[in-house]
Amino acid sequence: MTIQATHETLKAKFPDAIQDAHAPYTGLIVDRDHLVAVATALRDELGFRYLSSVTGVDYPAATDGLPPRFEAVYHFYQSEGGPLVLHVHADRENPTVPSLTPLFPSADFQEREAWDLMGIRFEGHPDLRRILLWEGYAGHPLQKGFQEVYYEADTKPFDSRWPEGAPVRAESRVPLGRNLRYPADFSMQGWCPTDDPWGYIAHDQVADLKDTAHPTDRVVLNMGPHHPSTHGVLRLLVTLEGETIKKLEPVVGFLHRCHDKIGERNTWLGNMPYTDRLDYVCSMSNNLGYAVAVEKLLDVKVPERAEYIRVIMAEFTRFINHIIDIGFTGNDLGIYFTAMLMGMEERELIVDLFERVSGSRMMCNYMRFGGVAHDMTADDVAYARQLAFERLPQAIDKVDQFFTNNEVFKQRSINVGVLPAETAIAYGCTGPLLRASGVPYDIRRAEPYSIYDSFDFDVVTRQNGDVYDRYMVRLEEMRQSVRILQQALNRLPDGPIMDGKPKGLIKVPAGEAYGRIEAPKGELGFYLVSEGGNNPYRYHVRSPSFVNLGALEEMCKGYLIADTVIILASVDITLGEVDR
Amino acid sequence: MGDAIVNVSAWIEGLLLGTGLSEPWVSFIMTVISAFVIAFIPVVIVIFLVWGYRKASARMQGRLGPNSSGTWAGPGGIVQTFADAIKMLTKEDIRPAGVDVIPYNIAPILIFFIALVVWAVIPFGPGTVIGVDLNIGIFYIMAFSSAALFGVLMAGWSSNNKYATVSAFRSVALLISYEIPQLLSVLVVVMVAGSMSMQDIVGAQRSVMYLIALPLPAVIFLIASLAEVNARPFELLEAESELVAGYQTEYSGMKFGMYYLAEFINSVAVGAIFSTLFLGGWQGPFVDAAPILGTVWIFAKITLMTMLWMFIQITLPRLRIDQILNFNWKFLVPLALANLCVISIVNKLINAQASDWTRAGILLLTNIAIALVAWTLVALGGRQKRRQYEAELEVVA
Repeated sequence: MTIQATHETLKAKFPDAIQDAHAPYTGLIVDRDHLVAVATALRDELGFRYLSSVTGVDYPAATDGLPPRFEAVYHFYQSEGGPLVLHVHADRENPTVPSLTPLFPSADFQEREAWDLMGIRFEGHPDLRRILLWEGYAGHPLQKGFQEVYYEADTKPFDSRWPEGAPVRAESRVPLGRNLRYPADFSMQGWCPTDDPWGYIAHDQVADLKDTAHPTDRVVLNMGPHHPSTHGVLRLLVTLEGETIKKLEPVVGFLHRCHDKIGERNTWLGNMPYTDRLDYVCSMSNNLGYAVAVEKLLDVKVPERAEYIRVIMAEFTRFINHIIDIGFTGNDLGIYFTAMLMGMEERELIVDLFERVSGSRMMCNYMRFGGVAHDMTADDVAYARQLAFERLPQAIDKVDQFFTNNEVFKQRSINVGVLPAETAIAYGCTGPLLRASGVPYDIRRAEPYSIYDSFDFDVVTRQNGDVYDRYMVRLEEMRQSVRILQQALNRLPDGPIMDGKPKGLIKVPAGEAYGRIEAPKGELGFYLVSEGGNNPYRYHVRSPSFVNLGALEEMCKGYLIADTVIILASVDITLGEVDR
Repeated sequence: MGDAIVNVSAWIEGLLLGTGLSEPWVSFIMTVISAFVIAFIPVVIVIFLVWGYRKASARMQGRLGPNSSGTWAGPGGIVQTFADAIKMLTKEDIRPAGVDVIPYNIAPILIFFIALVVWAVIPFGPGTVIGVDLNIGIFYIMAFSSAALFGVLMAGWSSNNKYATVSAFRSVALLISYEIPQLLSVLVVVMVAGSMSMQDIVGAQRSVMYLIALPLPAVIFLIASLAEVNARPFELLEAESELVAGYQTEYSGMKFGMYYLAEFINSVAVGAIFSTLFLGGWQGPFVDAAPILGTVWIFAKITLMTMLWMFIQITLPRLRIDQILNFNWKFLVPLALANLCVISIVNKLINAQASDWTRAGILLLTNIAIALVAWTLVALGGRQKRRQYEAELEVVA
């Protein structure tokens, strides 16, 4: 069913509750009270079973004939094609929206994030607590009136940074920050939030273990934030019976920097280097995702050579990500770094290529709206060909040889962390995690971006959804990446790499866009709202790691602590992207 | 050349007697000196072993490892380990709040002590080149190495840390259960050699080492020992990716250093015990002509075993606690038991006048037979399980 037809069906079904969004906005405006009914119909009757993104936008002034409001924005997908966008308006004084978490568990973390940062309350959410900021934080930073510490102006460039033509660091001027606000009765020493100090209440309510066959004491274990295998600063709050996991809750936000707010202050192009820092293993993919999203608003034509270069870089990035993840899985299994360093060796060669084309190894900042920043020279292409045709296929075979039939690895990973397909879809999992559960959903096929529709490649799936299958999917996806690389390098055309002249300050036409790509870890989406200025009005990142992490408890329950670490490794998260 | 070590000790003894000291005093001083030397051997070995381990792991991982590029660190970076040792000694000793002070402080001492004490009965050469030739040598080793469990338990429990406690839980399960197959395979050796004295066991392997006569106990002993010294794939007590550093989590400075040292010393000790029990200890070509060669042979064998340990340590992933225990109780223990029963009968049936080689051949054949039976049983069990699984799949389909 096309999106347009779905709109009509919905409007026929709920005549009072739905109206079209005004141009330049897309999708439907749904009445708050009917949201749950509409979402149920979408899920059960119309086949939109995947809720990709939930976020909020603040409109403090009346616009487009609408009163001042908060908007909750939902993006639904079916198995193919573009999004169905729902806007739900909430009163600005007392913003409440019904929660979709009971219908779509994938909304759980995202609604908590929208409450945390935007202040929209989701009624009926089972556990509406702050997620990225700390429990005692005063205010909701994404509201338009919120001014952060060291606040200078609403948007960049900040004139105050150049008083007499010489740059000044804002931090040196305001040592404590004029806008630093603390909650009432706050003291730096011995502060303790009152209601649920460290998130333990839910864990105290885990069913009494005394009546089981082998009664043991319950242990609540904090894995992290300082723990070797949480891949960054992630805190896992685990309730154990013996070593078996009864309840697990990821506590995130230790690396939070309010990427969204920074994005609103920056100019459109100024955001590009910030996206590098989201998933710091795959900066090229993040660049591509952001460029794809902004180009939806800009309506530029990317030259063919630039598209090819983008695909080449994105697929090299996928290769890096997967081989590093397999290496880290080995690390978590206890192979004393040997597997990880095996992956690092290949990664070094690929980042050498990134350094050649972009000047930086990890933080590439390479894509531009309408093209890429630098061309690939003949030498670079020759180097890339050498990698794609000779080195990398051998590297995959090496990994295959060491892991696939390793008895200990199989013992540890088969039937561990099983995620059934239905659960995976409900939790909004994407990427290898979803495909290992047997759902052949790949955005490169479902909603092709760039020039992916012109390449031959397979969408890799496995059926069991355990750790071993996720490894197998990653391994096979590396092969497919190499296949795409070989085709792209063979067909790489000559021509310009930018649409028009490169510009620094870009004005983007008013409108909203949700651009998404198949990043190595899953669906990386950028929700952008422009009011026609130099800066985004709203800039939201839907990161795959963050949403995939929501399904961790489902995967870990009933397994042992030892399994948790490899399940976490198989989910493949980067905390830079989770915490944003 | 003669027996250099014995000669040196006789020379020192002569010197001491020459000063007019009475006989008991001289023998006391000689005991102290030899105890010092024997305790010193493993510690010195470890300093080089740590370097060797770093070098070997680096080479297996496509790195260079310690070297002198940058700051000077001696040929091949060998000085690095000494710098590490000095750093360890000078670091602040942090004691977290809420620990149970007495066990917390005793634990590292106990573990280090046990790691050293084992070396007293390892024969480093023929005759008297041994700390003390106890007639219950191997029993003494087994007894002391089980006591190491108390150290781990004390450390884990007293640290006031959940990771350490979980590690202590695991240690009880793991160390106790793997002691059984270890002991059972040692019993076979004791039975065949007819003595518990380490020197006698080495002597019994004069013509043929027990690795050839008793390969099955050797393999069982090796596996169980890997578990006992907490090496991969049984590295559960300080499983870095799960339990941070296990029972050592709350230790710092030289207390941590003692655990670190003890771990390496134990690993070498396993090599030494294995060499003595199964590889013929100091036995080797030309030992009769030059007894000093015996010392060379045993150290060569220990080095070989340590290399094997390193290789396993660096390349294998770790199993899960339930899998490890299953493997032990459902496979290793029954196998070791069956082995003990069968070999005790077969050994008795062999003519006492039979040559060493005949005896070894018969024992080897028995071992192979037991291994084949065990293999068949495991394969049958696996096939049955697979059939069951396939039947279930068909039901679902």
